[in-house]
Amino acid sequence: MNFSKTVVFSVFTLSLALLISCGDEKKGESRSTGYPRSETLYLAGSQWGDPNTFNPLIEPWLVAWPANDRFNLMYEPLTAYNSLTGVTEPILGTLISYDTEKVVVDIQPEAKWSDGVSVTSTDVKFIYELGKRFPQATVAYVGEFVSEIKVDTVDNVERVSFMVNKEGRNNPLAILDQLQAIRIVPAHIFEKHLAENNNNFDEVKKIKCDKDPVVSGPYTLAHYNNERIVLQRRDDYWGNKVLHEGKLPVPRFIIHPIYKNNDHFAINLQKGALDASMNFIPRIQEKRKDGVSTWYDAPPYFVPGSMHFLYLNNTKAPLNDRNFRRAMAAAIDYAAINRLALSNYMGEIKPGLIMPDGLEKKYYNAEEVAKHSVPLGDREYAKNLLEKSGYKSVFDNNGNLRHSIGPNGDTLPTLLIRAPAGWSDWEAIVNLVVRQLRAVGIDVREGFVDGSQYWPSLPSGNFDMIMRKPPVAVTASLPWNRFNAVMSSRNWRPVGDGNFMNENEGRYNNPNAPGYNKRVDDLLDLIPLITDEEELKAAYAELNNIFLEDQPVIPVCHLPEEYYQFSTKVWTGWPTEKNPFAPPQLPWVGSGINTLWRLQPAK
Amino acid sequence: MLKLLKNLIKEPMFVIGSFLFLTTILAGLLGPSLYSAAPDGMSYESPSATYLLGTDNLGQDYVALLLRGLQNSLFVGFMAGIIATTIGTMVGLFAGFKGGLLDDILNMFTNLFIVIPSFVVLVLVSASWPEGRSLTLIAFLIGFTTWPWTARSVRAQAASLRGRDHISLARINGASNLQIIFKHILPYLASYVFMVFIMQVASGILSESAISMIGLGPIGEGATSLGVILNTAKNNSAITYGYWWGIFPAAIVITIIVFALYLLNNSMEGVFNPRLRK
Repeated sequence: MNFSKTVVFSVFTLSLALLISCGDEKKGESRSTGYPRSETLYLAGSQWGDPNTFNPLIEPWLVAWPANDRFNLMYEPLTAYNSLTGVTEPILGTLISYDTEKVVVDIQPEAKWSDGVSVTSTDVKFIYELGKRFPQATVAYVGEFVSEIKVDTVDNVERVSFMVNKEGRNNPLAILDQLQAIRIVPAHIFEKHLAENNNNFDEVKKIKCDKDPVVSGPYTLAHYNNERIVLQRRDDYWGNKVLHEGKLPVPRFIIHPIYKNNDHFAINLQKGALDASMNFIPRIQEKRKDGVSTWYDAPPYFVPGSMHFLYLNNTKAPLNDRNFRRAMAAAIDYAAINRLALSNYMGEIKPGLIMPDGLEKKYYNAEEVAKHSVPLGDREYAKNLLEKSGYKSVFDNNGNLRHSIGPNGDTLPTLLIRAPAGWSDWEAIVNLVVRQLRAVGIDVREGFVDGSQYWPSLPSGNFDMIMRKPPVAVTASLPWNRFNAVMSSRNWRPVGDGNFMNENEGRYNNPNAPGYNKRVDDLLDLIPLITDEEELKAAYAELNNIFLEDQPVIPVCHLPEEYYQFSTKVWTGWPTEKNPFAPPQLPWVGSGINTLWRLQPAK
Repeated sequence: MLKLLKNLIKEPMFVIGSFLFLTTILAGLLGPSLYSAAPDGMSYESPSATYLLGTDNLGQDYVALLLRGLQNSLFVGFMAGIIATTIGTMVGLFAGFKGGLLDDILNMFTNLFIVIPSFVVLVLVSASWPEGRSLTLIAFLIGFTTWPWTARSVRAQAASLRGRDHISLARINGASNLQIIFKHILPYLASYVFMVFIMQVASGILSESAISMIGLGPIGEGATSLGVILNTAKNNSAITYGYWWGIFPAAIVITIIVFALYLLNNSMEGVFNPRLRK
């Protein structure tokens, strides 16, 4: 008996010791992998799973960083949008003009692929017109916006004109966004792949592009495994001379460690094992003593850029009642959300879809907003509005809500607020919203679900209320793209029967219903074509007023586009409020990439 | 009965166990209504005069949360314990006493439930109930998945009693099966069943904490439990950031209850079991 106990005990201790030592090995690895810390920049937050392929033609959610999404390190776009100044900065191309007919870009004559071949209009046309050859290509959507690409040569420089598709979406603003969103890939390489595979696009998508990829950007893929992706500087990058006064980007390597858990970001940032990250870390001010900094030194610490919403199912009673929705918007205590759920990362919230600060400020009209909005965080107002609209609430002796009764005398269903389980910031927001709404007599509950249930329920409209951050990047087309994401009923489909909507998921403004407000869609079509500033302001104000009156969704917080936070233990010279040479972005997207040429090793 | 109690009180283990247990029960029953919670503060304020045990991520007073959590955890534990003990005892009694086909069938079910890892069932069922899991539901789920061991041991004991003389006598006197089971067999097993019940309560509290810890616990108004407190702390990285007051008090309270129950069980075994009696 004693013997077996000893055996069990020693097996247990041994395995524990093994486990601990394994963990240690992992930590120590970065020291022994041959990437000197002082020449390596560690960035994280864009790769969660195992990297499988680096093929830039695949669906962005299947591709590994940095070939996915909108990263400019390997494959570059034509231009980069500076979210701080609103300027479209040149990369592979220079924006020449932009009007309701066409968007004109000059291609950088010196731009070269890593195999020495020049970047030309052929490369641009290849990716922009890929959707015409292969409708399943992810860039096929540009066909709705760009009808034709015309190429002229002016002073030995190729000039590309993207003609606005008048019959299609008729939206030059979106074409401007696409200049940054679409990365140019080497046509000569992919044409060769296509020829080798008998023009079978699906076969070409299987190519991993992970061995000596032909790229135009300042970095290229050096090595990857399930724990990290390593990029190496290309010292012959064409842009060093043309865009950066002959200087090299400072870090020789960029490593994206792959963390499985949110906690790793905070720990590694504090330890100085990670140089910058973009995910939510609560109470960032407490990390300041460990050399972790943000754009502002004081609250809100970050630059607001995106709105997070509570989407409401506008087809379901009582959420189909405008007054009910307005009462909810009034009942929520936004200051408490900011204080308790968001570590004071949001400035003061103002009603409506236009942000009162940054580049959108010029469209924000405080007078109009005050006239049309409900007072935010005003419980009494909410209660009165509910009562006036015929809603009654039944509370028990402890003051807890039992149920509520609609204007027709029927008991209202308990509305569930969906959010992905484990997203601690959103969970906290939902907890607070539930408490605040119940206090005024609105019967809501938390409905935290697994991510596999959360994501499909969005386009299908299968929810009462749901937390949502629309995929609206900080680009030239703000705030139009935010209005479009929330209010457009161009693709309106009823809930159910496999009907998907990728904007206005709450099914606001049904075009087939008697109360359809056509003005909303008209304004959404009109705004991208307006060039006169005053006219534009008036149009935005009108649309914002409709939003405030109808309250199809509830903006619950204004947060940064990405939580730009960095450590000064290894690298200094990061852009901040006091030194705003680049926007508050990690040095891998948009014009945030300029930071790479300005970093300095810490002493 | 009085003699038993006298014997029990002589056991220091029993005295400590019952003291701890009564204290937690009192705290759980009366605490939430007696203690007036401090108004909400900032998230994760460290312990102070206002907040004796600090605040959670939503700025709520941890003492109030712990008391409510304790109450709910005890509720789930007792309810699960009652359900599991009742089912287990009934199944065991009938299987053991009747024997034959009924025994085989009940035994098959018992073994089936033993083979299926109950925690996995608990997780799967909880996960398929994404909306509005109440404390009662969680208690039922735990109760319905933890009864088989009770059934097995009660069956063994009941089977050993089946051939006793007083049972045969009762039968000759024309007592029905039910009468025999409840009048002549159950009293013999009462002390054993009571100890099993204590263990079921303890394991109910632990199971609830475990599934709450992985985020499958009760949800809804006032559905705080000790496990839910731990889960919230975990989700908000309390360990990473060193907010010890988010983890330790709840963990310590769970440990104290379960420890007290084990002490009670152990000391009772020493008194009830003739072979262990001093």
